[in-house]
Amino acid sequence: MSDQLRLDDSDRYNLMLALTGFLVQGDEYEVSELAAQFEVSNEEIVKAVKNIGYTDLIHLNNPDRYVVDYDALEEGYVRISYNLANVVDDVVRLSSRQASALAAGLVYLSSLPGLAESEEIAELQSILSSGDSRGSSPEVIVKPGSKDADLVTIRQAIKLGKAISCDYLNLKGEMRLGRVIEPLRIDLRGELIYLKGWCPETQDVRSFRIDRMRAAQVIDTPISAEALEAEIDDDVYQPGEADTLVTLEVEPEAYSLMSDFRPVEEPESVSEYVKRFKILVGDVRNLGRIVCRFGGAAKVVSPESAKAAVREFALKALGEYSNAAPGDAE
Amino acid sequence: MSDKEPSKIKITKPERLFNLTCALLYTREGLTKNQILRSVPGYEGDYVEGGDNSSLERKFERDKGSLLHNGIQLEVTIPPHEDENNQVTVYSIKRESFYWPKNVKFTPRQMALLNLAAEAWAGGSLSTAANRGITKLRAMGAIGEDSDIVGIAPRIQASEPSFRDLNNAISDHQVVTFDYRKPQTGEIKTRTLQPWLLHKVAGQWLVMGFDVDQQDTRNFMLRRIVSKVKSVKTNAPFIPPTKEQIAEAIADLDALGEKQTATIKVEKDSEAWFRYELDLQGNGKSDEVTIHYHDLYVLAEELREYAGQVSVLRPEPLIQLVRAGFEKVANDHV
Repeated sequence: MSDQLRLDDSDRYNLMLALTGFLVQGDEYEVSELAAQFEVSNEEIVKAVKNIGYTDLIHLNNPDRYVVDYDALEEGYVRISYNLANVVDDVVRLSSRQASALAAGLVYLSSLPGLAESEEIAELQSILSSGDSRGSSPEVIVKPGSKDADLVTIRQAIKLGKAISCDYLNLKGEMRLGRVIEPLRIDLRGELIYLKGWCPETQDVRSFRIDRMRAAQVIDTPISAEALEAEIDDDVYQPGEADTLVTLEVEPEAYSLMSDFRPVEEPESVSEYVKRFKILVGDVRNLGRIVCRFGGAAKVVSPESAKAAVREFALKALGEYSNAAPGDAE
Repeated sequence: MSDKEPSKIKITKPERLFNLTCALLYTREGLTKNQILRSVPGYEGDYVEGGDNSSLERKFERDKGSLLHNGIQLEVTIPPHEDENNQVTVYSIKRESFYWPKNVKFTPRQMALLNLAAEAWAGGSLSTAANRGITKLRAMGAIGEDSDIVGIAPRIQASEPSFRDLNNAISDHQVVTFDYRKPQTGEIKTRTLQPWLLHKVAGQWLVMGFDVDQQDTRNFMLRRIVSKVKSVKTNAPFIPPTKEQIAEAIADLDALGEKQTATIKVEKDSEAWFRYELDLQGNGKSDEVTIHYHDLYVLAEELREYAGQVSVLRPEPLIQLVRAGFEKVANDHV
């Protein structure tokens, strides 16, 4: 449970407010239980509790205080009583920023069909705005993306612990019918939805784009033990050993490439707007469409093989445009 | 209040803020700045009676900002006839604005959805705000649990560096300026905006607001902002838009997307065929599809990605734009 990033001063203050509001409602808690509840380390809980106990309004002629049982704390238990009148003794409101970040996250979730009804999201949003200290309306709106019935099937399969079969259009543009996938996790990445699933043929975890999937159905094969034990990476693309290191330059219009592909080191600024970074690419031929998309705002600097691949893609596309008819896909 | 021991233990900033919060909640008639500096742990140890306390005063000003950022509404009362004199301004925190409304609780399912909503920002622009919000809500004791909400890893992608600065300016009702690049000409102009709202339209983050120079509602695409977003400190906070104003501006934008269409021809059974869901349309005959769009440049980008699978039939400017992009790329990669 101590996997949260280091807390800064504002986080610690925020934790003290939350923890005080929580502790004064009950009797005794284990430190580890509180750490789990607030998703911070045990040390942060102990530190926050001690700091709450040091609160002192004696110079405002208020001798009362939060009474922390320090012996219990040594043994891993938190017990706070208080006789401090009119101080933090309940759950604290959210700031507008906090409420609006959560509200926007909720709308984003509603792009996942079947997860939550829109009324449910609307109700939660209105609760959030009533608990926002200014009671303002949301400041970030994320519109739901496309809907897909296959997703409902996949979620059902994950819940049941069963495999699915589906038709899947791979990157080469080939439709594979009746492909079996053991579904593990649905990843929403901006506009795109991926299924991280175990492929029984290749015996590894792969990313499948939901929009390339058709006719998904739950089949009566349980998800295997290997699949459940497999590590699921956060990245959509896993670099391989034979990958080519490619250097790219991007203008602001193509900055999104820096988050779509994980650069191997920090991007550097070449000029006021232009950034340069390196990525690992499995097959440089795939760069053609990625770079062409931006129509000049992204550029391959090296190696020559990658530049040639991009040029070839652009020239081929231009040839097709002069014929004014769609050419053959690969 | 006279014989104070010099404070030996260093009081950390979180402790000081917490003590300040408790003091401001406790006070009935409010506290002046001097009363605060003289009596609240974190300041009082360094307070010099009758001496120069200017660095402490600056600390207090910064702390006021920290409280505001944490969503705490300071009640600032300036006694009548004394408007400029900040020695007599009194500060307090009203309980009604401080506490979460009584009897507003979350079910375990709602809490699970909120946890997931916070997770959607992981590593992103609003992850700090979302996490702090969740920390406060956890004080209600509800644990997010729902068997239906498993196996989902959401990530809102908002990588534009301007996102957080704009979001802060929206919260603070602060006028901002930034340099904006027009895609038509590549011309860069400084714009001044009262930012209202961040929203995502057709995959693009936009900031909607009132353009001070144009005296009208405008939308700006975040990826076309080429400078830092700076708040104009000399301007007083602007009056936030009404719900009706926002609804009207969104309706205008929707109408634009409804009005602008392009027609493309798609290669059967190609990836684009699936992307534009021609396989689901059920007519089986037509390989043409009409698309609504908000921004011709964004549409051209999307169509370039499907080179070889789609060809643009109309409008003419879109055909030109797609082609010009390929030409530029071909020339850039010699």
